[in-house]
Amino acid sequence: MAEIDIQGRYGEIYDRGYQHYIGKRLGRRHAIWALITYSMKRAMGIKKSWTAKVIPFILYLAVVGTVVVVIGIEAFLKSAGTVAMSYPDYFTFIYLIEGAFVATIAPEMLCGDRRENVLALYFSRAISRLDYVLSKLSATAILTMTMSVVPVVFLWLFRQLLADRPLHALTANIGDLGRVVLIGTLIALLLGCGGLVISSFTGRKSIATAIIFIGYAVLEGFVNALIEAVSSERAKDVLALLSPIRLIGELSEKLFGVYDPVASGHGGFPAAVYVAAALGFILLGIVIMVWRYVPED
Amino acid sequence: MVHAQYAPARAGELHPALTPVEGHETGPIISVTNLTKRFGRHTALSNLTFDVPRACIGLLGANGAGKTTLVRALLGLTNPTSGEATVLGLNTRTNGIEIRKRVGYMPESDCLPPGATAADFVAHMGEMSGLPAQAARQRAADVLYQVGLREERYRLIKGFSTGMKQRVKLAQSLVHDPALVFLDEPTAGMDPQGRDDMLDLIQRMYRMLGIAVVVSSHILEDIERVCDHVVIIDEGRLVIDQPLTGMGTPQGDLLVRIDGNPDDFIAQMAARGITVRRPSDDDLQTSDELIVASNAPEVYDAVRDVTAELGVGLRSLRMKGRSLEDLYLGNVGGGNG
Repeated sequence: MAEIDIQGRYGEIYDRGYQHYIGKRLGRRHAIWALITYSMKRAMGIKKSWTAKVIPFILYLAVVGTVVVVIGIEAFLKSAGTVAMSYPDYFTFIYLIEGAFVATIAPEMLCGDRRENVLALYFSRAISRLDYVLSKLSATAILTMTMSVVPVVFLWLFRQLLADRPLHALTANIGDLGRVVLIGTLIALLLGCGGLVISSFTGRKSIATAIIFIGYAVLEGFVNALIEAVSSERAKDVLALLSPIRLIGELSEKLFGVYDPVASGHGGFPAAVYVAAALGFILLGIVIMVWRYVPED
Repeated sequence: MVHAQYAPARAGELHPALTPVEGHETGPIISVTNLTKRFGRHTALSNLTFDVPRACIGLLGANGAGKTTLVRALLGLTNPTSGEATVLGLNTRTNGIEIRKRVGYMPESDCLPPGATAADFVAHMGEMSGLPAQAARQRAADVLYQVGLREERYRLIKGFSTGMKQRVKLAQSLVHDPALVFLDEPTAGMDPQGRDDMLDLIQRMYRMLGIAVVVSSHILEDIERVCDHVVIIDEGRLVIDQPLTGMGTPQGDLLVRIDGNPDDFIAQMAARGITVRRPSDDDLQTSDELIVASNAPEVYDAVRDVTAELGVGLRSLRMKGRSLEDLYLGNVGGGNG
C-alpha cells in the first residue's frame, strides 16, 4: 500500500494500488438479475437526462391518475352504487396507454445494445444468449405489469374497501382480483413481446418506436376491414383473435360476463380460447426473439 | 484501510481467481488441440494445436487471419467444428460460462453505451460478472482509477476521446479481477502517447498484477514490446508458437541489401576472405538481404569498397537480430502486419 504525499487536517489520501478481489462471487442468477434491473432503469430513463424520463412518467401518471379519478368518483357516488369505469372499459383504456408505453421502452431495451455493440460485452460475461433474451423479456414484463396489473389491483382493493362490508366484499370478489391480474398480465406480456420482437430487428430506437405504433394501427385496421368483409360469424370470431385489442377486449368482457354478441357482431369463443390465443402469440414472440439472438454463428 | 474482500496484488504471485481450478496452478493457461472452425465452406481455423504458458501472450496475424474467431472459441462463445480447447483448465465446449467468469474481454470494436457514465457502466459489467452490487461499484471506481480515469469516470462516455474509451473498455475487462484477459487490438485508433500509456498498462497487468494477458493484434511492434510469448496464425493455420525471449538480440552477422547482382558481390567479398551467403529458410528474414558472417569494423569497409567497385547501390546495412518482424515475414511472408 503506497501512501501518496497528500496529507491534511481532514485526512489522508491513499493509493492502495491494484487490489485482487477475494470476496464473494455470485452466480449466473445474479448476473441475470443485474441485467434485468439495469435494463429497467435505462428504459425508464433513470440516470439519463430528464428528456428520457418524460414520456414513461407521463404515461404512468395517466394510468395512476385515471385510477385515482375513478376511485374518487366512486367514493363520491358511493350511495348511488355507481361504477365509474367497468373493468373491461378500464382494460381497453389501459391497452392504449400500455401500447404507447411499450413503444417507448421496448426499443430502449434492445436497440441500444445492438446499435452500440454492447452485446459483445454482455455475451463475454457469465450469461448465455438465452439468458440475455429472457432477461430482456423479464425486464419488459415487470415494467409493463407495473402499469397494467398494479394500478388495477389497487382499483379492485379500493372498490372493496368502499363497499358497505369491506371484509365480506374482499372475499366475495376475490374472483375479480384473479380476472384483473390475468387480463393485466396478458396485456403486459402480449404488448411487451410484440414490442421486443419489432425492436430486435433494428438498432434504431426511433424506427422501432414508429414501427410499433404503425404496426398496431395497420394490424387493427386490417383485421377490422376483414371482419367487415366476411359474412361468416365463425370467421369473424377467428379474425378477432388476430387483433390484440379485440382479443383483450372480448376476453375481459367474457370474463366479467358483459359480452354482447349483437354489439360485437359475432358470438365469440369461450374465454379459454382467448387466453390460449394470447399465450400462443406470446410464445411465438419468445420463439422469434430466441431465433434472433441465440444462434451463435 | 484495505477492505476484507481485497488483497494487494504482488508481482509474481499466483492470481487468487486461478485457485478454484484445481490442479491447474502451473499448467498451460490455454491449451488447444486440433481446433478447427468452419463457417459453411470457409475454414476460419484449421487444425490448430498449441499450449501457452501463464504469460503475456501475443496473438498475431493479419486482418482475417482468424484471431477473433480463435478468441471467441476460447471464450466459449462459439463451438469449434472439431478439436478441443481449454482455458485455465476448463473445456470451452462445456464450461463457457465458468471460463467467462474468470476471464476478461476487451473487444476491438466500439462497444460502450454513450449515454452512461464510465463508473455506472463498469460497475454494471462487474455485477454481470458476478460481483455483488456494492463490491462492483467499489471495484469500478478502483479499476477506472488504475487505468488512468479519475474524475472523468463520472462523465457520460459520449464525451470521451478514443483513448479514454479504450481505457474504459480495459477497465470493464478487469473489473471482476479476472485471471486472464483477452485484449483485441487494444491500441486501435489511439494517438502515440495514448498508445504508449496503454502498452505500459498492459505490461503492468501481467508483470505487476499477475493477470495473464492475450493481446490480439496485427501490430508487430506492440506485441514485441509487451509480450513474452507469441502465437502467429495465418489464414487460420498456426505458423509460430514460441517465447519471445532473446528476440532482437544482435547475432554478430550483418545484413546487406544491394542493387545489382548478388553473386558478383558474394564472389568479390569471398576474394577478400569474407563469407557472404544468401539467406536460407532458417534465417527468417526477407530473401533480398545477404548475410555477411562477421561484424568486424573492416567488414563495413569491405562492403563499402566492393559495392563501389561493382558500381551497385548499397540499399541497407544492418546488424542481424531476430526481430519479431523477421519471424513474421519469414513465416507469413505477406500480410499487413
